[in-house]
Amino acid sequence: MPPPGIDLPHVVLVSVGGEIATNCDTPLDLADCASGGETFAPATWTRDLPDLGLVARIGTEDLRAFSGADGGAAPEHWQALAGRLQQLAGDPEVDGVVVTHGADGLADTAFFLNLVLPTRKPVVLVAAQRPWSAVSGDGPLNLYDAVRVAAHPAAGGKGVLVVANQEVHAARDARRTSAYRMDGFGSVDLGLIGVADPDVVRFFTEPTRRHTHRSEFELAALPESLPAVEIVAAVPDAPGRLIEAALAAGAKGLVVDGAAGLSAGQLAALRRAREQGIVVVATSATRGGRAPEVTALRESGVIPGDNLTPTKARTLLRLALAKTTDPTEIRRFFREY
Amino acid sequence: MLRIQAGALAALLLPAAAPAQELPVVKLFTTGGTIQSLGKDRLKLAEYREGRIDGETIVEAVPEASRLARIEVQAISAVSSVRMGAEQGLPLARQLAEELARPEVAGAIVTHGTTTLEETAYFLHLTVRTTKPVVVIGSMRPWTAVSRDGPLNFLGAVRTVLTPDAAGKGVLVLLNDTIHSARFVTKRHTYHIETFVSPDVGPLGFADADRVVLYRSPVTRHTGDTEFDLDGIEELPQVDIVYGYQEASRAPIDALVKEGAKGIILADSAPAHGNAVLEALAAGVVVVRGSRKGAGRVVLSDRTAARSEITADNLHPQKARILLRLALTRTTDARELQRIFNEY
Repeated sequence: MPPPGIDLPHVVLVSVGGEIATNCDTPLDLADCASGGETFAPATWTRDLPDLGLVARIGTEDLRAFSGADGGAAPEHWQALAGRLQQLAGDPEVDGVVVTHGADGLADTAFFLNLVLPTRKPVVLVAAQRPWSAVSGDGPLNLYDAVRVAAHPAAGGKGVLVVANQEVHAARDARRTSAYRMDGFGSVDLGLIGVADPDVVRFFTEPTRRHTHRSEFELAALPESLPAVEIVAAVPDAPGRLIEAALAAGAKGLVVDGAAGLSAGQLAALRRAREQGIVVVATSATRGGRAPEVTALRESGVIPGDNLTPTKARTLLRLALAKTTDPTEIRRFFREY
Repeated sequence: MLRIQAGALAALLLPAAAPAQELPVVKLFTTGGTIQSLGKDRLKLAEYREGRIDGETIVEAVPEASRLARIEVQAISAVSSVRMGAEQGLPLARQLAEELARPEVAGAIVTHGTTTLEETAYFLHLTVRTTKPVVVIGSMRPWTAVSRDGPLNFLGAVRTVLTPDAAGKGVLVLLNDTIHSARFVTKRHTYHIETFVSPDVGPLGFADADRVVLYRSPVTRHTGDTEFDLDGIEELPQVDIVYGYQEASRAPIDALVKEGAKGIILADSAPAHGNAVLEALAAGVVVVRGSRKGAGRVVLSDRTAARSEITADNLHPQKARILLRLALTRTTDARELQRIFNEY
């Protein structure tokens, strides 16, 4: 391992908070700070984990102000966060960016950034399943690994990355798979694209769907507030009231999770929504496999959401609706991203 | 739901119906295996010694495939996959390269028994210089079985070959609608339909009823980007695998060195292997540290590097053997061999 020096890559650690930036009052607070505690400024990481200096020159930035209730970036701050990350990535002195985040909303923030940051430099989101202060906490190793990945030349151009539990996942496919166990993230149906192993960072595959530098979604062109899209779960005996309420509240699009199980009342409400020009996307409630492009969906004008989770389909639909309401074009987005 | 999917599939296939001479050519190489095997009756799912069908029979059974492509059949062998090896692999790789060089050929399919399918697939992945899709298929149930998987695996392979996204991704393995890279795939069950998996890494994509989708591209070197060249190579160096377990004896290593093995893959190791490995290295035998665990890389330790042993990355021992045989046709230098294991 090379000694610390000016030749090391420059990685900026951006804190949006989360378990990884939280010290609880006792080390046995594993799931939350039941006995009290608070988040800390990024300087604590470099003090507690000087090993970071062995793999990169570390800069820090405190963006905890963007944090929402779950310790991750609140969606109303996503655009501001993306804007600052793009500035950092555009700095020729910066080689990579690490963003710490609450584990809960990480996959959704990562997917949004994956669609709007035009950078080819590594942008790595990292979280911990346990607070920084926990006994056998995963925060320190996750943070160290995230910095190693952000400093690695092969990490560029693969879209926004998620690092946890010694694995590297692609933002599009990463999902939280456990509320508190160490294998907290996975890419359901697919798999990791690389590993942060004790000896080396190694990539095995790369995502083929469009992202970051190959994305057509421009941060600067986005309206201050993205078009409203609501998620509705298909339930065989549900009336259509939730769909009607979403429309009454001004939704421009709907994501229906589990389209095959829609009730007659929901189908009728969706038909009225389609007549009003509301764009409807279907996701598969199986959390494995795509919402297939079957005849029934095609005939009803519902756009298949590929294998995206409902929240990710919602993010893509909001970005799509900010550009167009043309269903053919939106269908293309769901095939290409 | 089934009816809807069948309808979607038919809709997908219909527009491609064109006069046969205008269709792209897909080569079907047959080597044998369960997909070509016949059982006594349709409930014999795991026992099938009643002879084999040929590639033409597969093509005739799935007429939809011939609406998409002109299928040219070429038989290589008709054996169980445990009888496959370099003797069949070398001519198969050469004939694949030759046929794929024809401009009208869109890609190729290879039938194979499932037990060693991943070994032949990885061998082709490392040796066939092409950017056209090569899809290796098999089946978990014999051709005669109720709910046999062979016909749909074949049709999925034809559709995958004709998918532009499939080009340049190396050799693909397709069973159960799931498209894996030859580099990562392994057989992990003795008879279930969902048997082929790529541990940790996952599949590259899916041949779904409505569309073939590919989400991943391998970044390890392969096919169009390979440094291995079969020109003038008639046989490959002997490399064998030694299994590590409690109280394992050093006898297999000693016997292999005596027999003239050029390389040994350790699927984990035991204390008694220690001195045997040092003596093997001193005798010029290359030793690669692999793992029997089925997932994860063998981490390169300072001690392993100091001893000139190589680590197998996350290659399963049976695939590390294929790579080492090919690597030994080019070098015996430990650093260069480790580079090859890092890159392929």
